[in-house]
Amino acid sequence: MGKEPIIEVRHMVKNFGPTRALRDVDVTFYRGEIRGLVGENGSGKSTITSIIAGMQKATSGEMFYKGEPWNPASMVDSQLHGISMVLQEANTIPNCTVAENIFAGRFNEFAKANSFLSMRKVNKAAQEVLDSFGLQHIKATDNINQYGFEDRKLIEIVRCVSDETEVFVVDETTTALSHEGRELLYKLIHKLKDNNKCVIFISHDMDEILEQCTDLTVLRDGEIKGSLTREEMDAPDAVKKIRFLMVGREIGDAYYREDYDSSHLPDVTLKLDHVSFGPIKDFSLELHKGEIIGFGGLSGCGMHEIGRAAFGLEKLAEGKVTCEGKEIKSCLDAIESGIGYISKNRDTEALILEGAIGENIVLPSLNALSKRTFISPKAEKKLSGREIDNFRIKCNSGKQWVNTLSGGNKQKVSFSKWTAKASEVLIMDCPTRGVDIGVKQFMYHVIDEMKKQGKSIILISEELAELIGMADKIIIMKDFQVMHEFMRSPELSETDIIEYMI
Amino acid sequence: MAENVKTAAGKTDERVSFAGFIKNHIFDLTAYAGLAVMVILFLIFNSGPRFMYNLSSVIQAAAVYSILALGAVFIYSMGFMDVSLGQQVGVYVILMILIGNAIGGVLGIVVGFIAVLALALLCGAINGAVSIFLGLPSIVTSLFLMFFFTGAQYLMMEATGENTIRLAQTIRPADRNTYSLMLVIIIAVLAIIGGYVFNYTKLGKYTRAIGANKTTAQQSGISLVKWQVFGYMALGFCIAVGSFVMLTRTGTAGKGTGTGYAMDIMICLILGGMPLKGGMKSKISSALVGAFTYTLLSNVLTTMGVPLNWINFVKACIFLLIVLLTCRKSKGILPR
Repeated sequence: MGKEPIIEVRHMVKNFGPTRALRDVDVTFYRGEIRGLVGENGSGKSTITSIIAGMQKATSGEMFYKGEPWNPASMVDSQLHGISMVLQEANTIPNCTVAENIFAGRFNEFAKANSFLSMRKVNKAAQEVLDSFGLQHIKATDNINQYGFEDRKLIEIVRCVSDETEVFVVDETTTALSHEGRELLYKLIHKLKDNNKCVIFISHDMDEILEQCTDLTVLRDGEIKGSLTREEMDAPDAVKKIRFLMVGREIGDAYYREDYDSSHLPDVTLKLDHVSFGPIKDFSLELHKGEIIGFGGLSGCGMHEIGRAAFGLEKLAEGKVTCEGKEIKSCLDAIESGIGYISKNRDTEALILEGAIGENIVLPSLNALSKRTFISPKAEKKLSGREIDNFRIKCNSGKQWVNTLSGGNKQKVSFSKWTAKASEVLIMDCPTRGVDIGVKQFMYHVIDEMKKQGKSIILISEELAELIGMADKIIIMKDFQVMHEFMRSPELSETDIIEYMI
Repeated sequence: MAENVKTAAGKTDERVSFAGFIKNHIFDLTAYAGLAVMVILFLIFNSGPRFMYNLSSVIQAAAVYSILALGAVFIYSMGFMDVSLGQQVGVYVILMILIGNAIGGVLGIVVGFIAVLALALLCGAINGAVSIFLGLPSIVTSLFLMFFFTGAQYLMMEATGENTIRLAQTIRPADRNTYSLMLVIIIAVLAIIGGYVFNYTKLGKYTRAIGANKTTAQQSGISLVKWQVFGYMALGFCIAVGSFVMLTRTGTAGKGTGTGYAMDIMICLILGGMPLKGGMKSKISSALVGAFTYTLLSNVLTTMGVPLNWINFVKACIFLLIVLLTCRKSKGILPR
């Protein structure tokens, strides 16, 4: 018996101004499948799913859902009809309880005669749903602000999926989740598949795609470039084939650094001297010119806090942070001393989303561009144009707003702010989170070049392969303490490191 | 194929579609269209011998609004607002009259203006700094200043024992047209300075960045305290100059001088297309467009014979209409 189509997309075109995000896309999603969607940032994966889920409208083309024309008015409309989507960015309502988030828009179900709302019933039902998902540690009555990004993401998943869900779209959600969170999500999508529902799974993690998906569709520049069945995904050359379809060229083996030389210049640039703040106690670090120090660990291990402290964002109880001998007490001190910081919270801390790409890139450099109070638009344009070219940011011009860019291109903007500033020390907190393979390769190349230029880098990452591939020294943290340090070595494996993380 | 996806800055600006241009500039276009409509109505209802007189009245009224709005752009671009503005104007005009009359002559006027300018800059600095140091919303500190200045205005007038005080000397040209021309020159000079500072210096760029995303601004090396204080001081400067222009126009002051200006400036900026949540779309031109639209609206309604109470009603309706049109849009001019 053939598979039953649930969503059909025909001749879909989506334009953003002069940019064509989707070009005459034809794709069919079937019941009982977990369809992986892969492609570089800006290839159109999220655009297709966001149109299916009612987040935006297509410029032209048709959609059919269960054989009927499909043109959702909004995401709420989609969800009411059984199509739910979890996005990469946080999408919960702050300052409300977990229960209010889970049942937002559905309070009528708990109101007597459509009048008095029983919050007791809402809370009880929410806790039951949370428990059924295995999230007993989340309390329905708690304010959602109490929970971290990962838990909020899980709450979103709980909100999205119900018995009525027919199509579940997971858009690069797993990057925000820990091992346990991912396992929970995998269990859920396989359950949906077994119940003859459809899951559309977007991820940049190739291992995850190959392990979890039953089918795969590859996009490039807004076009479908190929599809793979489960059998084809199991073939030995599957990864190579997928990468080729994604990028349109051989990625090659030059991905991470190829050398195993962990030497660096003798000069210390950044020094954390017996630093204590919050749960971090008596932490010390010396970062040299031309050195990459990697930090790894599970979420909540304290590595992100170390990055923030080095950039002057944490108030220290004891000890001090210095850069080239100058004490860093605030991020202004840090920037003046030549430190740059790529925050892991890209959309809320690193970028002005409702601002032009060029404006974002030159922001830390405005002081240097100012000549007798005058900031020349020509100089600004030259600097931002250079970075846009160097980082190959896909955009129409430097005037394009950042919020119209894909995740990877946003990350490039965040990165280029500090290369434009010519920062000598760079603190990178999850710099390749949510970034596709092509952009990752490019960023690793940039980091390698920076090391060669004698720049100092702190690389905080949740991906062990990235740390092993790029860092001269890896510091593994657990419970806000340093558990172990590894030096760069061809023998170093993820298994060696993991035992110190958990 | 990706032939229309360029990677170099500024290469394809001209390729943005007409519809895209309209969409991106809808608020600016609406603001300019509003001003154009008001100019046309003004020309229709003010033809004949009344024209020059009414034009002069519009310029005189718009001058104070324009100057105050030019300063207000700097704080509105940070997403802040100042409700003490009107009361500050009232106190400064009274102070300049008292000092001017006490010292006498041109020196009295100069000393009065310098004193007021120093006070306005100080209040601006307090307004900007206190909200950051105490972690208060900026409107709270401006509320404090509003009550302070309301009290000060009342006490100063009580001390004089008069309902109205008058500057002993005339400081404006006797000829109405010459005076209007002088005001046009003042507006033009301030607009050029304001445009320069807002578009080509750190102050303008930083205040917009703070309005767009305070955390990103701070993590990009912008001192929130310093630039917030400077933004408020820019407003303080404009309040001092605006107060002086008001003094040249009226030559008098009382307990009610300046009342309502804070709200009027807010409406001016909204009419001029200023996003009240601040950010990168803030523009200095909003001040002039809004100030003239607002003044022309009052003038046109008056010349149409609409009673004063109804003029306020019509203004309120227009304000509500803008709120309704924009508040539901995520990128609208009003904060959500």
